[in-house]
Amino acid sequence: MKKVVRATAIAGAAALALAACGQAPDENGNTSGNGGGTGTETASNFQACMVTDAGGVDDRSFNASAWKGLQDAEKELGVKAKYVESNSETDYAPNVQQMVADDCGIIVTVGFLLGDATKAAAEANPDEKFAIVDFQYEQPVKNISPLIFDTAQAAFLAGYVAADTTKTGTVATFGGINIPTVSIFMDGFVDGVAYYNQAKGKQVKVLGWDKAKQNGSFTGDFNDQNKGKNLTNTFIQQGADIVMPVAGPVGLGAAAAAQEAGDVMIIGVDSDWYESAPQYKSIVLTSVVKEIDNSVLDVTKSAAEDKFTNEPYVGTLENEGVSIAGFGDFESQVSPSLQQEVDDLKAKIISGEVKVESPSSPKS
Amino acid sequence: MKLELRGITKRFGSFTANDSIDLVVEPGEIHSLLGENGAGKSTLMNVLYGLLQPDEGQVVIDGERVHFDGPGDAVAAGIGMVHQHFMLVPVFTVAENVMLGYEYTKGGQFLDHAAARQQVRRLSERFGFDVDPDALVEDIPVGVQQRVEIIKALARDAKVLILDEPTAVLTPQETDELIAIMRELKQSGTSIVFITHKLREVRAVADRITVIRRGKVVGTADPGTSEAELASMMVGRTVQLTVDKQPFAPKGEVLQVEDLSVRDDLGRTVVDGVSLDVRGGEIVAIAGVQGNGQTELVEAIVGLGEDISGSIRLQGKQILGLNAKEIIDLGVGYVPEDRSHDGLIESFTVAENLVLSQHDRAPFGSGLLYHPAKVKARANELVGEFDVRTQGVEATAGSLSGGNQQKVVVAREMSRPLKLFVASQPTRGVDVGSIEFLHNRIVAERDHGSAVLLVSTELDEVLALADRIAVMYRGRVVGVVDGDTPRDVLGLMMAGVPEQDARRQAAEQGPTALTVQDEEARQ
Amino acid sequence: MSVTTDRIPEKTPDAPGEPTSATRRRGWAGDVLITVLSIVLALVVGAVLIAVADPRVQETASYFFARPLDMLQAAGSSVANAYAALFKGAIFDYGAETTTAAIRPITESLVFASPLVVAGLAVGLAFRAGLFNIGAEGQIILGAIGAAYVGFAWELPLVVHMVLALVAAMLLGGLWAGIAGFLKARTGAHEVITTIMLNYIARFLLAFLLSTTAFQRPGRNDPISPQVDSTAMLPQMLGSWSRLHLGLLVAIAAGFGVWWLLNRSTLGFKLRAVGANPFASRTAGIDVGWSTFAAMAIAGSLAGLAGAFQIIGTERSLTGGVSAGIGFDAITVALLGRGNPFGIVLAGFLFGALKAGGVTMQARTGTPIDLVFVVQSLIVLFIAAPPLVRAIFRIRAQGAGSMQVSKGWNA
Repeated sequence: MKKVVRATAIAGAAALALAACGQAPDENGNTSGNGGGTGTETASNFQACMVTDAGGVDDRSFNASAWKGLQDAEKELGVKAKYVESNSETDYAPNVQQMVADDCGIIVTVGFLLGDATKAAAEANPDEKFAIVDFQYEQPVKNISPLIFDTAQAAFLAGYVAADTTKTGTVATFGGINIPTVSIFMDGFVDGVAYYNQAKGKQVKVLGWDKAKQNGSFTGDFNDQNKGKNLTNTFIQQGADIVMPVAGPVGLGAAAAAQEAGDVMIIGVDSDWYESAPQYKSIVLTSVVKEIDNSVLDVTKSAAEDKFTNEPYVGTLENEGVSIAGFGDFESQVSPSLQQEVDDLKAKIISGEVKVESPSSPKS
Repeated sequence: MKLELRGITKRFGSFTANDSIDLVVEPGEIHSLLGENGAGKSTLMNVLYGLLQPDEGQVVIDGERVHFDGPGDAVAAGIGMVHQHFMLVPVFTVAENVMLGYEYTKGGQFLDHAAARQQVRRLSERFGFDVDPDALVEDIPVGVQQRVEIIKALARDAKVLILDEPTAVLTPQETDELIAIMRELKQSGTSIVFITHKLREVRAVADRITVIRRGKVVGTADPGTSEAELASMMVGRTVQLTVDKQPFAPKGEVLQVEDLSVRDDLGRTVVDGVSLDVRGGEIVAIAGVQGNGQTELVEAIVGLGEDISGSIRLQGKQILGLNAKEIIDLGVGYVPEDRSHDGLIESFTVAENLVLSQHDRAPFGSGLLYHPAKVKARANELVGEFDVRTQGVEATAGSLSGGNQQKVVVAREMSRPLKLFVASQPTRGVDVGSIEFLHNRIVAERDHGSAVLLVSTELDEVLALADRIAVMYRGRVVGVVDGDTPRDVLGLMMAGVPEQDARRQAAEQGPTALTVQDEEARQ
Repeated sequence: MSVTTDRIPEKTPDAPGEPTSATRRRGWAGDVLITVLSIVLALVVGAVLIAVADPRVQETASYFFARPLDMLQAAGSSVANAYAALFKGAIFDYGAETTTAAIRPITESLVFASPLVVAGLAVGLAFRAGLFNIGAEGQIILGAIGAAYVGFAWELPLVVHMVLALVAAMLLGGLWAGIAGFLKARTGAHEVITTIMLNYIARFLLAFLLSTTAFQRPGRNDPISPQVDSTAMLPQMLGSWSRLHLGLLVAIAAGFGVWWLLNRSTLGFKLRAVGANPFASRTAGIDVGWSTFAAMAIAGSLAGLAGAFQIIGTERSLTGGVSAGIGFDAITVALLGRGNPFGIVLAGFLFGALKAGGVTMQARTGTPIDLVFVVQSLIVLFIAAPPLVRAIFRIRAQGAGSMQVSKGWNA
């Protein structure tokens, strides 16, 4: 036994030695790895801080997207970006407070669930600037800029695409928790399918969401991928061949189920899953994209340049705050006219000819 | 094979368990290692068996120095050990247990059951073991299980057999059979190291006796040495082996048990229609081999049993159906047979153990309040009165020797006015000095007027204390006899023979190995 | 008595080197020593992980042999920065501009510690009564439900409202644990299994309640309750700049209370007796079933208090994640405190500090907060394996001989 340990240790040391034989960088070389950028002097002291929700910074969803916005800001503006992760609801308040204590130039809180904590901190620290992703207060708070998205518009397009593409005539959607930022996707999706049915005289069914009752299928959290997988399997058994999971990382479970079933497609949400979840690129039909990163970059920029206001940023198809991604590997399989129809529909939505309405839509 | 231990010293921290012990076991000799609990007998044997490494000294076999890194080495060198607690797998057969760890195989990987069975049968016949190789160990009596342990050792070619307290679990008859087996083994050239604290057995079987006390050899003796001499060598002072007893003067009935039956949790009747009464000022002993219903009978009396029918009255009051607390409060003291399991809490202090059943009674507790200072004060009194050897009343009970632990239990139970004192195996695993003390206290309790119900599997103890003896066999009382009934009659009754038949058979058979000594003693 | 050390081995007659009471007394000091060393070791392992995870260290390691000092400096500074941030976030932020900002971290540590302490006591008390209460999590949830409902649904005057919210939490928590106690006493169902199952039931009960009109906040679709009235809130002890609430004092008082219960009350005597040896307790006339139930009910009401602290101390509203894993951390807190009430209070403070400091460590140095969990787990792991710690620090074991023998002997 001892001999084995010793042998392993020697082998390990040897491997380390080989790996460690690299060339040292020039002593005088600029160690510009950290910090230094192209920004101005004032901007480089500016800290852009972020508090995630329980999904964590690597959720491939809106936390990741918001963090990308801050990293972009770090590159473009020379500000310093940092984040803390929350593990449960009870972490929100202390984490926001931590960022207040750390003298942040702007604090971006990610997600509807941080609404109460953000508001409390903003009221307690009137000089601090906040931005919250995906939440709009009934009474605007003077130092919080809400970053909200009329995702129903883009989801409407996705519903249209799904209805046109399905072979079984059944599509499905489900959410993580029944909150407005989730159900808005589902509203748009259902309406898009309905629009298609009306326009083409078809009977494509949507499982998982009843817009009138504002009720449907939810996994209950944004963490447990297994639940997403199980729910998706149920939908597949009921004949669905396109599923849109609106549940952050739980959607990856849906993708796994779809991949196992074969012949089932997924519509990604928040980011373009063809890019962000490449292991599933072969089954991603399209994605409903929220350009959270751009909005975060914008609000950071305005705060750094002292132009911060509490005006909500509302992402729409028009300002490209929301969009529908390309068809990826399905480019050749969808009907040839579909891209054109989607573009036309998008123009009609922007012009107001087609109205996309959801109880959860941002109020301006 | 000649086995020598030379100057073995083994220390545990500052404690010297063995202090340069010399021991020589000649081939074909039964060598008895006599000593009290804690004297260092087991440590010495653990050194011999390779379980412990000596700090000094050496083990020499046939003139050659050997070194054992573990039991495997010792076994290979021809040393076998039968532990007090058997190392058998209950759900395996005898043959499987014998081959365990030394599997007979054929074709390199298949177990050769036939060879193992053959081996068991061969040894069993040769030494008159009467062991069925295909019986499950859990189904055979303790005495036979012990023989399986011996077969295990012999199957591995043991030339020296260490028997650690082998008779502790046996009936008198089984003890006689074991003694016969030991003599048989000796005839065939096997040496035996016989560890015990029972003087009677030592004198019956040993060729030579080495007495150790506090880790040192205090002397060797031959079997002719009297029990009193051996006892004083063991203890280091003169010991009175018999109990001085006033003639008994029984008063009124205290405990009346009528037609009592108890079923165990499998629904089997373990106490079957027992009727028994105990008067104030008398000691009634229940004799019998372990497991014949004594435990369940006693538990029924002290309110710990379940599924009981019949009647138990204490001074006329029905107590069947009362719980343990209520019965304690009526003036019943109880020393359970397994003191570390049921009698005390080893991680509690001596003081706490002394009030285990009284902690919520004045003066130790009132309502929700518990008064440690009063508990401590009382404990100091009792420790003095009952001669409990402890570093203090705040020491844990687990740190005491068996005898002192038992004194704690007895002190607790006797420290309040009793009508009935029930003691199960009060001196099991207790050193000679403490036995003397405990016996005197039990007699004192009887002289004080309490009714005493004593359960013991040790005939010596029964004969020393009892005014009357009830013998139990398979849940029934075979008979109630006087306290001076001869040992061999009791032995037969313990095997289920009714009193009259037992007396007749005993007269026909004549004395056995152990009763001879009684005769000697009388002369 | 301590819960983590092995049961005293059953002695065969003649067992050598029996531990005397003197070695036991030394054992208590040994426990403290092992605990402290375990914490040190865990921090050392944590330091290695910090260094290894640091990108600058990885970069400099690639040319270690060309200029070894680079890597060592990088490793040293990453560890020093991370632990400095941990300290600043947990105890005292010496770089802060204002006094309140400087001492805020310690108050934050105490805020995290308060529910951990009472929940740890819940687990520790049950340990002492021989019960493994894995169900603190569920009991916390029930406590939170009780405190929240009283807090938002009833309108009551100051003080009364708060006290009633606390009482409701203790009742519900006690009831919840009492179910496990009752099942154990009556049917022998093992409390580990029943409390784990009750955790699940509590979690889904909470999820269900939060979807009912009685509990869901009007105008919201997501599972969140209304905020409790300010009359029900535990008063903030230092003003609005700190979240430190009265719960801390309640928690410390609970520590004394549990100590008193165990050592100065007849009920506590029974609980300890049943915990240490139920058979001897039964023989001595102690009602083992009742003691089991009482132990669980008291433990549950302590855990319920932790739930109340979450609601009327900090969170104000009930959400699905209100228990925040405190019930599980409580098990490690109880182990670290070795079942001793004061030990548990100290262990709760340590874990609270690690939690508060972990946030700062992540914010200021980018060290993943998971490292804090790793360190917490390592502490308990080392405590659970005293021989390992002794071997590393080359401390001579007390009565090692006897331990070895008893293993060879009675195993």
